[in-house]
Amino acid sequence: MAPGSKAGWRLDEKITFASERDMPPLAVSLGTMLVNKTGTWRYMRPVYEDKTPPCNHACPAGEKIQAYLELSKAGEFGRAWELIMEDNPLPSVCGRVCYHPCEQACNRSNFDEPLAIHHVERFLGDYGLRKNLKVKREAARSERVAVVGAGPAGLSCAYHLARKGYAVTIYEAQPVAGGMLAVGIPRYRLPRDILEKEIANICSLGVEIKTGIRIGLDIALDDLSGYQAVFIATGQHQSTRLDIPGQEARGVVYGLDLLRDLNLGRSVEMGRRVAVIGGGNTAMDAARSAVRQGARVTVVYRRSREEMPAIPEEIREAEEEGIQFLYLSAPKRVLVKNAAVGGLECLKMRLGEPDQSGRRRPIPVDGTEFILDVDTVIGAIGQEADLSFLPSGIATDRGGIQIDDHGVTTRPGTFSGGDVATGAGTVTAAIGSGKKAALAIHSYLSGEEMEEAFEPRVVAYEEINLDYFETAARPVMPRRQITERLAGFAEVVLGYTEAATLTEAQRCFSCGVCNHCDTCWLFCPDVAIAKVNHRDYLINYDYCKGCGVCVEECPRSAISMEEEMKWKK
Amino acid sequence: MEKVIIGNYAVSYGAQLARVQVIAAYPITPQTQIVEKLAEMCASGELNARFIPVESEHSAMASTIGAAATGARAFTATSSQGLALMHEMIHWAAASRLPIVMANVNRALGPGWSIWADQNDSLSQRDTGWLQFYCESNQEVLDTVLQGYRIAEQVMLPVMINLDGFLLSHTSEPVDIPDQALVDKYLPLTRRHLILDPDDPHSFCGLVDPGHYMEMRYKMHQAQLQGKEAAREADAQFKAIFGRSYGLAEGYRLEGAELALVASGTIASTSRVAVDRLRGRGEKVGLLKIRMFRPFPGEEVGELLGGFKKVAVIDRNISFGHGGIFCQELKSALYNLPQRPQVYGYIAGLGGRDVTPQTILDIAELTACRDVPPAEADWIGVKV
Repeated sequence: MAPGSKAGWRLDEKITFASERDMPPLAVSLGTMLVNKTGTWRYMRPVYEDKTPPCNHACPAGEKIQAYLELSKAGEFGRAWELIMEDNPLPSVCGRVCYHPCEQACNRSNFDEPLAIHHVERFLGDYGLRKNLKVKREAARSERVAVVGAGPAGLSCAYHLARKGYAVTIYEAQPVAGGMLAVGIPRYRLPRDILEKEIANICSLGVEIKTGIRIGLDIALDDLSGYQAVFIATGQHQSTRLDIPGQEARGVVYGLDLLRDLNLGRSVEMGRRVAVIGGGNTAMDAARSAVRQGARVTVVYRRSREEMPAIPEEIREAEEEGIQFLYLSAPKRVLVKNAAVGGLECLKMRLGEPDQSGRRRPIPVDGTEFILDVDTVIGAIGQEADLSFLPSGIATDRGGIQIDDHGVTTRPGTFSGGDVATGAGTVTAAIGSGKKAALAIHSYLSGEEMEEAFEPRVVAYEEINLDYFETAARPVMPRRQITERLAGFAEVVLGYTEAATLTEAQRCFSCGVCNHCDTCWLFCPDVAIAKVNHRDYLINYDYCKGCGVCVEECPRSAISMEEEMKWKK
Repeated sequence: MEKVIIGNYAVSYGAQLARVQVIAAYPITPQTQIVEKLAEMCASGELNARFIPVESEHSAMASTIGAAATGARAFTATSSQGLALMHEMIHWAAASRLPIVMANVNRALGPGWSIWADQNDSLSQRDTGWLQFYCESNQEVLDTVLQGYRIAEQVMLPVMINLDGFLLSHTSEPVDIPDQALVDKYLPLTRRHLILDPDDPHSFCGLVDPGHYMEMRYKMHQAQLQGKEAAREADAQFKAIFGRSYGLAEGYRLEGAELALVASGTIASTSRVAVDRLRGRGEKVGLLKIRMFRPFPGEEVGELLGGFKKVAVIDRNISFGHGGIFCQELKSALYNLPQRPQVYGYIAGLGGRDVTPQTILDIAELTACRDVPPAEADWIGVKV
């Protein structure tokens, strides 16, 4: 049947009137307009093209953040949890300890304040644990993989391989699994039961963790030859020495050692007046742990607050807990009294030109020495990897294992990731490198090609149509009272409620990703956009003139204009 | 059910009872309460309509036109400067032959910034093709909204309902709120032809060449003229169902009168009081209230005023350089009568100045003591 107008005229029928009297009273075509294929006028065409939101791009673990925020908006927390678990087996952990580069990248930070992504992630992780949600596993494969180190990199690699069906065994030197998560990060930031539950989830996929076995001491790395692939993720567990006179005195300790002892429930000897040297997260953790032991704590940092590498929330919470900060100060020597710390001589610094890290270089100011009256000095100026267990054939580079972009070492079948290889020093980077190596191991064992990396098209703030958004503050994150905090190691940050999570997720711009808001569909002046399945949009190019209104109006830059093929040279 | 409500709410209840489906409006004193009330009704679910907040009156009318073009029963309300800003779209609505109903709260135009009653805003829209009504009471306001849709949907032209700023808009009166079932019977929702429909696309409002433009305007004019009969029928049906009617123009104590006062809006109700007083003193004075201004009810006016010697028209408006606008319209309607009365023009109450019964008595007295109308209208109480 020829398409025609409901009024009864056919497309090919000439409409004639006996006289003007019979013509319609208003200027209207009686025949259907479908005959006029206005699409032929077009020289540009709109196409739906999802782009990369800056949060996704910034996440070292490769989480699909925008997508799980979108599910959270609808209260689909279970599906949101599953989505995170495709990339990261430790959302409850990361929601607590990640330094959230996603939030620094969030376009909303130019508008009011960035999405509280880590708070939402924490809620979703805890939701999965509370509801006892489980991840699916592919059919079992015959190949076995050994992972050295049960830190975030090792756990991540083991998890992704286990989901693919591989049999994975993790060897861990410490008596507990978790690496820095278990022995480095204090419990007030990451309660042990949360970590244990997420590790248990990984083990439920068939991953075996053998604790208390140190590779290089208990067994050699080469003894793992029964495995078809090995992933090394031993981390950086050695503190950088202070290297100042008097450092051998009793009472000079190192942050990582202190945190490990506290975390493992070992007795810790600590004075009443403590100086913590350094401005990173280990320094904050050590200082806040010392305060919880009843000490008066001063952090000595050689640059200013602005250059401190610790997460800003950590610094703020440390300040709230009464920790003093001495900026632009560096230790010069430990005053030794009866072989123990009798004080710390420091020197004032000033900031010079920026160094390689982009931060301004601290320069000592002669004659500004002063004495800090302390009986304990905690060094927390950096950490290094112990590479003594490595056999020849695995090359090292700048204090770590040398790897390529996929975690491949110089020895076939051996892969590496996490701090021992990258020195990145963050949980999420370790998780990301574990995942990357898992993909490389799968490709190595199965012969399947790895997906090619592509240059993402990241959405900039200027591409967001702000007319569609109103400013709104994040829900306030409840925190434990200071007095309660100082009384022990109870968790400080208390977590979002379901209602707060729903409210917060609503603020997401959904940069570059269509979330079916209907704006294009409503705005198309030619009604050339159709909705299919009550959800997706279909552009009818027979009639789309290429005016670009849909592209202009799209609140989130999920439609692009493309030159018509016929105009392309 | 009887309620004591302000004139603005009488409009809102009228729109609610008419089951309007789309409201697009922008706030302006003294109209704001109309759309505030409707917005509340939409939010609470008392009215199943889409409320479109807009950034200007031009957009309000544009959105109302868009809504009406899809076949929806659409409503808006405005006043004064807002109406002036709509002007382009007011033409568009009429020539698109859309049965929109709009309430306009008569308010003076600035500068000389003013928020008070004055008819110059709506009378500036005289030649746009809209039907225009001027109401005297809150009950009449509500009833005219209902009649308005019935007339508009019959002749396919938009209807403007005018009420005086503050004197009606903010004044409480007892109003009978008709029963919804009866209103549904009086004003059923019907599906129109030639509407915007993505499944049956037509081209609207396109170019019309000189060979056909005049015919379209002729048809608009014919539709306006048919509006008189449509209004008479709508009024008669309304009386049959609800027991009230208003006519296009209404005579009050004109029998045996020698002088007819002519007024519209709230001045008509004040004039009734003045007429009663004059009659009480034995003076032969009556009133003609003009309710429908477009189309102009020339037949009714000719019939009611044909035999009079003197007619005094009171205008709360001014066409600069040619006097009161109702007065001009009346003169032209009477001109071809075999025995036409003398018409005396009076300008009163501009910018919300009080028009009291004494003002009307003064006008009656001034008219009585004159033999020939002056060339120009008298400005009552003007202090120059």
